[in-house]
Amino acid sequence: MDSPGRQIRESILRISHHSGHGHIPTCFSVIEMLCAVYSVMRHDPGNPSWEERDIFILSKGHAALGLYCTLAHFGYFPIDDVYSFGAFGSRFGCHADRFKVPGVELSTGSLGHGIGVAVGMALGFKHAGSKRRVYVIVGDGEANEGTIWESLMVAANMSLSNLTVLFDNNRSQSRCLPVVNPEAKFSAFGFDVASVDGHDVKAIGQALERPADRPRAVIANTIKGAPCESLVNDIFAWHRRSPNANELKTLLGELE
Amino acid sequence: MRQQFRDTALKLAGVDDKLILLFGDISVYLFNDFSRQYPGRLLNIGICENTLISMAAGMSAAGYHPVVHTIAPFVTERSYEQVKLDLCYNRFGCTIVTCGGSFDYAWDGATHHCYTDLELMRMLPGMEVIQPGSKKEFDILFSACYNNGNPTYMRIAADEHGLDLPVEFGRGVIVRESPGADVTVVTAGPILGNVMAACSDLPVNVLYFHTIKPIDTTLLMRFAHTRIIVVHDAFGLFEAVNASCPAAATYHGLPDDFCCHYGTLADIRGKLGLDAAGIRERAGAML
Repeated sequence: MDSPGRQIRESILRISHHSGHGHIPTCFSVIEMLCAVYSVMRHDPGNPSWEERDIFILSKGHAALGLYCTLAHFGYFPIDDVYSFGAFGSRFGCHADRFKVPGVELSTGSLGHGIGVAVGMALGFKHAGSKRRVYVIVGDGEANEGTIWESLMVAANMSLSNLTVLFDNNRSQSRCLPVVNPEAKFSAFGFDVASVDGHDVKAIGQALERPADRPRAVIANTIKGAPCESLVNDIFAWHRRSPNANELKTLLGELE
Repeated sequence: MRQQFRDTALKLAGVDDKLILLFGDISVYLFNDFSRQYPGRLLNIGICENTLISMAAGMSAAGYHPVVHTIAPFVTERSYEQVKLDLCYNRFGCTIVTCGGSFDYAWDGATHHCYTDLELMRMLPGMEVIQPGSKKEFDILFSACYNNGNPTYMRIAADEHGLDLPVEFGRGVIVRESPGADVTVVTAGPILGNVMAACSDLPVNVLYFHTIKPIDTTLLMRFAHTRIIVVHDAFGLFEAVNASCPAAATYHGLPDDFCCHYGTLADIRGKLGLDAAGIRERAGAML
């Protein structure tokens, strides 16, 4: 595991332990996607409302802690601020608020919303002749929602080549409604599809920069909770819990 | 009134290149002139109301003044969470213009009746709710609100009330003030025509509200000492009146039941006692 990913995961674990909140496994599965997107997109942590910036939207909003720790890593705010996560009066809620957190472009939480707004943004930029791009992470569990597929149809029909959907294929729905063969589904919906190791920042970055004349999908094949074996082996128990002191020590050890 | 929507959009598009129309595969033929005159500014997105609303939020974020247009029940009852979160919670401006409110699609039955839209929208923080009762009201109120940065819900109706009233966003209208009257009839939208026919010789006051949110509390308070009856073929106005006026209003209009009848708008209003005779009987009983 490369250094940013390990550092961000350590922050997630420590903040989750400190606050008593957090969806740790779902945060862990998007860290490399976040690092790749924020390495590729045009943005300025010193000026989050820069008018020429690209847009990132976390449609699977319950991975907010992962987004906060990544934004802190890229310099949007000090990581120490995030330790108030989920507390009354904190600006760092368990789901992000775009009016409170620099770098957050859309307040998300209820699944299936961010993708549609991302499509509208991409359409707006295209309509205006702007070169701004839109990146959105959608979870495979979130893809149980019909709005995901509505939005994909519209994006393809509008030839939104400035839109990239990163699909977190962490198989979170294996116990109910799995989204099997997402590559074929996205392709059938009219997307340019790349399937990559979702924990390889370089591979994700290369997929993000591939030229395409239509909307792009990056199927990021991830392991929910990786690299912590305790999480990977019990993802449902860990879905929404924070580690106690002993568990924190174990999980930090499993990061190495 | 739908033609007025087209004409007003044509007028505004000429001076505001950020006005853009997102349609749910309805009224497209009626807007052919708009599409010819302003290519690429009417986007017929598809029959996907949830995505229509989410996209409008995105278009607003990208600097546009989006106008979503489709059929009332599908974009309000079905897409309520998109309106609540993507527009209202995220504070992205958008104007939702619907047709088919209340019983305008009477013949299509209960799946196409929509009398909850105004109240559903009224309950959302930041939302403006307008029910024009004439072409003039639509033109003035749409023009006043479409680019103000707020989410706005507007119905266009199949009929009009037939009166020429003063129009200002957020201001109610005293249609008739009867000296010494103890009863005030409050209404909104095209059904004002039936209300006026019903009350032509009754000693009552008549108040009219094209803007349901923000409701004109100042005007209501002037009549708070009277007994208020809300006559309306949708929820929303009654709740707005009761939320802002200390006098508990009574209501005449919808039963707690689906309307399982077809026919015309007039047929349904007659069945519900919302024709002139039914309204007169109810208002007269209060005297």
